[in-house]
Amino acid sequence: MISQQLKSNKKFVTSHPRRVKANKALIGIIAGVGISLLSMGINAKALTLKEMNNQALISTEQAQQAPLLTQKLPHIVNTKQVQTSLSDFNGKVVLLDFWASWCGPCRASFPWMNKVMNRYQDMGFEVVAINLDQDVKLATEFLNQVPANFTVLQDEMAVMPEAYGLIGMPSSYLIDKKGRLRAVHIGFHNSKVSDYENAIIELLQE
Amino acid sequence: MKTIMLVKTLSLVSAVFLLGCSDLGVKPWERDLLAQDDMSIISEPLESGLNDHIYFSKEASSGGQGFGGGGCGCN
Amino acid sequence: MAVTKKSNQDFKQLLAGASCALFAGNTLAIEAQKDWTYDAATLIYVEGDSRVTAIEPVISATKAYDSETKLNIKVAGDTLTGASPNGATPSDSVQTFTGPSGNGGYTTAANEQPLDDTFKDTRVSAAVNWVAPLNRDWTYGTGGYVSSEHDYLSLGANGSLSRYFNQKNTTVSFGLALASDTISPVGGTPEGLTIMSAYSGDDEDDDDDEAEDKDDDDDDDEGGGGSESKNVVDVIFGVTQVINRKTIMQFNYGISSANGYNTDPYKILSVIDESSGSNYGGNYQIDGSNVYLYEKRPDSRVKQSIYWQTKYQLDNNDILNLSYRYMFDDWGVTSHTLDFKYRFRFEKQYFEPQVRWYKQSKADFYQRYLTSSNYETEDYASSDYRLGDLETITLGLRYGYQFEDNTEFYTRFSVYQQTNTGDQGFGKLTSQELYPETTATMLTLGYKF
Repeated sequence: MISQQLKSNKKFVTSHPRRVKANKALIGIIAGVGISLLSMGINAKALTLKEMNNQALISTEQAQQAPLLTQKLPHIVNTKQVQTSLSDFNGKVVLLDFWASWCGPCRASFPWMNKVMNRYQDMGFEVVAINLDQDVKLATEFLNQVPANFTVLQDEMAVMPEAYGLIGMPSSYLIDKKGRLRAVHIGFHNSKVSDYENAIIELLQE
Repeated sequence: MKTIMLVKTLSLVSAVFLLGCSDLGVKPWERDLLAQDDMSIISEPLESGLNDHIYFSKEASSGGQGFGGGGCGCN
Repeated sequence: MAVTKKSNQDFKQLLAGASCALFAGNTLAIEAQKDWTYDAATLIYVEGDSRVTAIEPVISATKAYDSETKLNIKVAGDTLTGASPNGATPSDSVQTFTGPSGNGGYTTAANEQPLDDTFKDTRVSAAVNWVAPLNRDWTYGTGGYVSSEHDYLSLGANGSLSRYFNQKNTTVSFGLALASDTISPVGGTPEGLTIMSAYSGDDEDDDDDEAEDKDDDDDDDEGGGGSESKNVVDVIFGVTQVINRKTIMQFNYGISSANGYNTDPYKILSVIDESSGSNYGGNYQIDGSNVYLYEKRPDSRVKQSIYWQTKYQLDNNDILNLSYRYMFDDWGVTSHTLDFKYRFRFEKQYFEPQVRWYKQSKADFYQRYLTSSNYETEDYASSDYRLGDLETITLGLRYGYQFEDNTEFYTRFSVYQQTNTGDQGFGKLTSQELYPETTATMLTLGYKF
């Protein structure tokens, strides 16, 4: 990777001689940092879900591709809509939330999810909420009482939570613009809302 | 004697069950029924309290029930 | 459906399933948003044969700060009227008993159950409890309690700690409760196993009864001003286990130690004449008065119990609730309690039939009566029916109706029948009913809002 970078820079150097010195220094710094980060990445063990929980964002080096990005799921409200997968939101920051009608904290999280959707959608942010109710009717009833202005999909076979190793309801996962899993928040706490938002902002700035 | 035997049996039984307990359970998203109020261990605390008072006044035993429980397991 | 993956496991799990105790407040999925929720009810309790009647109103208020953090306040009052057995045996002649105050007295007709009708009592109690998580894995609870009536004050504090395992499928809990009781019987605390001074109308100090004078001295040593105290330490350890999507179980082990004054200051024992002759089996007399002794129980009582409960929801939404408790203590009492409830659940209402069966074996020092040969040599004795061999059955039916605004009205009607058994006596005593069956009817009316 580094050797490829150096090759392309040669061309740059010959065509733009004035910027070469400054850029050489910059390249040197980036290379140095890159090498150290890489070596750190090699030494660090994979984080468990619990360790990832409520941590600051997982670094891009440690981050893995989010599971089942291409899994198609039906919409709850407008069931005639074409099925959607997470890959449809590639290039956007996605808050993937798992919820159910019987889950109290889930109900508490909806107003906040509406809020961040309104605030950051224009900046390339999407909320995708996956419902895990055994009975879809209960989910629809819930949405009548607590409307959602974000994508709500139904995962009847619970393939998503299994793949994402869900250990508590609700759980939200932050997926960056490149489809990598960058944060896990198990449970919803009003007191931690600013932390959740800061993580979203950070990913939007990448 | 009775106490010792009982405690021994209890410990053995509990140990076996508690070991087995780690395999039992449901996924976090399968707690819909358990989340219902009626499915908590003490679903009617007022009735429980009134009964406890009556039985404590009429009989020699009391207590046993300590905790509520179950629920949606959220957060 | 995600559930089908587990369906094969259900049966296996039910077999393997045992008990665990659990903690964790139940979340009200929709109601989590409400600030305070209340449950208010009144119980009316009536015993047959002009025995006790009680009315107990209670209100409980809960504030849910979030799904796992709750504050609960409960206030209850109860007024008791009526008569209660004083422990003496019925006799073929009239019996006169000294009232608890030492001044008053009451009479029991021949061949009637000796009942003390001098107590009317009002009690008020309040409890506060707080439950909150420490983090994802730990939850704690703490609370306080006070109960007061004219001759009894109880103060208590409790704390508990719970740890979740297996994605909150298993919860291990530990609870500790401490209580300090002060007993201030009307007229002071009588010395156990001393002769109850005969009710003589005007005289208060009977020269015949030196034991009575001795009482006062001893009382001053023990409680000061004729009051006694008792401290209770309760420890409970439990595991609650989710068995499958429809089943949850709890298993508790509890141990309780009560130290101090465990005796009932108002209860007495009859002394029955064992000497052959015309009075064989009749009341033993000294100087023409029946001899009755105040009861005495040991200063220490250690109780242990194991408790198991299962709740199972059927496919038709009905819920089955079954529990069993085995209790044994160092007084020799052992008991079994089996409780079964089945809730038929409908759209807006439910019907819940309930059956409870209870059986206990008597305390070592329980005796229905003392005899002229043993009444001076016993260390402890009590004829309180509550410590004897007995079996009870409760049949109840609870009904509830849920309104549009999620408030609920409920009512419960139940009948409690207690059967006591034991030594039938000898001589004249055998013609007396020593173990009358008691039946109580109860009605509860309540409202949740």
